[in-house]
Amino acid sequence: MRPVAFAGRNIISIADFGHADLIAVLDAAAALEREPRPRLCDGRLMATLFFEPSTRTRLSFEAAMHKLGGSVIGFSDVASTSAKKGESLADTIRMVEQYADVVVMRHPRDGSARLASEVSRVPIINGGDGSNQHPTQTFIDLYTIAKLFPELRDGTRELTVAFAGDLRYGRTVHSLLAALAHFRCRVLTVAPRGLEMPEQHLAHAREAGVRIDAVPSLTDAIRAADVLYMTRLQEERFPDPLEFGHIKATYRVDAAMLAGANPRLRILHPLPRVNEIATDVDRTPHAHYFAQAGNGIPVRQALLAMVLGKT
Amino acid sequence: MPDSHKVRQVEAIANGTVIDHIPSAATMIVVSMLANDDDEVFIGQNLRSARVGRKGVVKIAGRELSDREASSLALIAPGASLSIIRDYKVVAKHVVPVPEVFEDVARCANPNCVTNHEQWPTKFEVVGQQPLRVRCRYCERGFAPGELEPT
Repeated sequence: MRPVAFAGRNIISIADFGHADLIAVLDAAAALEREPRPRLCDGRLMATLFFEPSTRTRLSFEAAMHKLGGSVIGFSDVASTSAKKGESLADTIRMVEQYADVVVMRHPRDGSARLASEVSRVPIINGGDGSNQHPTQTFIDLYTIAKLFPELRDGTRELTVAFAGDLRYGRTVHSLLAALAHFRCRVLTVAPRGLEMPEQHLAHAREAGVRIDAVPSLTDAIRAADVLYMTRLQEERFPDPLEFGHIKATYRVDAAMLAGANPRLRILHPLPRVNEIATDVDRTPHAHYFAQAGNGIPVRQALLAMVLGKT
Repeated sequence: MPDSHKVRQVEAIANGTVIDHIPSAATMIVVSMLANDDDEVFIGQNLRSARVGRKGVVKIAGRELSDREASSLALIAPGASLSIIRDYKVVAKHVVPVPEVFEDVARCANPNCVTNHEQWPTKFEVVGQQPLRVRCRYCERGFAPGELEPT
């Protein structure tokens, strides 16, 4: 797939981006991290439409825009908006595009960002649409892995990435797997029964040449992987509380378990974590989830600057 | 049996469109999707067919459906054929082609899809031909045609 110019482009789904696009975003983020550009988006206005709360994503986007010299308007509580009065999403977008140069939105319905992009004259950046996509998180995950392991980009060594936890409903793992399919990777999966990675995602990655193996335990993943991508288990997915208690104990990494780890291993997590990573892991060299969150700034700066035609 | 003795299972029409080889269960759905209120329509359901076992036939008199009008059939009644009739003669006959995108012909089966909550037409992109698989342009879920209900 040839790279597409980013100016005016929507960021809706990771499936819309080819290898060259992903590299372009990684390069732009690296450049902004090396050399901040506090005036790059002077006079530009970003609207954040958060129809459901997400403190982390909103703050990260707002921080990114401020650090580029741009301004921010928006809401993070749907109760105070016209949507609460029954306004359609399309009308909300038609109104906001009159004010803003770029719109970042999070919405509880799957596909809402795509719909908004069909209405809007200004670029839409999807900050999460229901259980469907969260593409900027995937760019952050990919940037984090590429910074840790340059071989991801140059392909000199096959990187092993293990996904653990709720692989069925966790949208971040689906999107990251799709992104990794553009690179030389081996993937390991560890999931409770019933929460395995859906076949359609596995098939897509396999077709792209990714070797994928399910491994029986976290310990196996820890020994073999360069990257362990942990996800949160959500209690509501388990009808039986006893079963949830048992699974929760099994899908938990602590410092003692890391004694036999691959020394290169780095642990990522889209956050917030609950029980799945013990706090004693934070002090090990394997913990990388807070640095990963920090990468949200250069990556979101890059995406904002690119869709605004500033890089 | 000579043609002169062949009994038609559904009344012949002088001019119009015949949709044949409809999966029987989809017959009335095809009628509701394609026939206008004032159309003269002849319907056969659960008819014997050497090709598909039991089938439906819908004949719409006096109106020739375009491929675009009929494209939704490929989702609801895959394998159905479309014949244009003029003066009792078949002047064109073909299996309904599968379009690249089905627009506003079926509801998305994902209850959380935005199209089930906003007044917005659905779009299903064809991602596999045999068997037919489609993907909602909005929520990105994949479906077999049988999983979708017509709008």
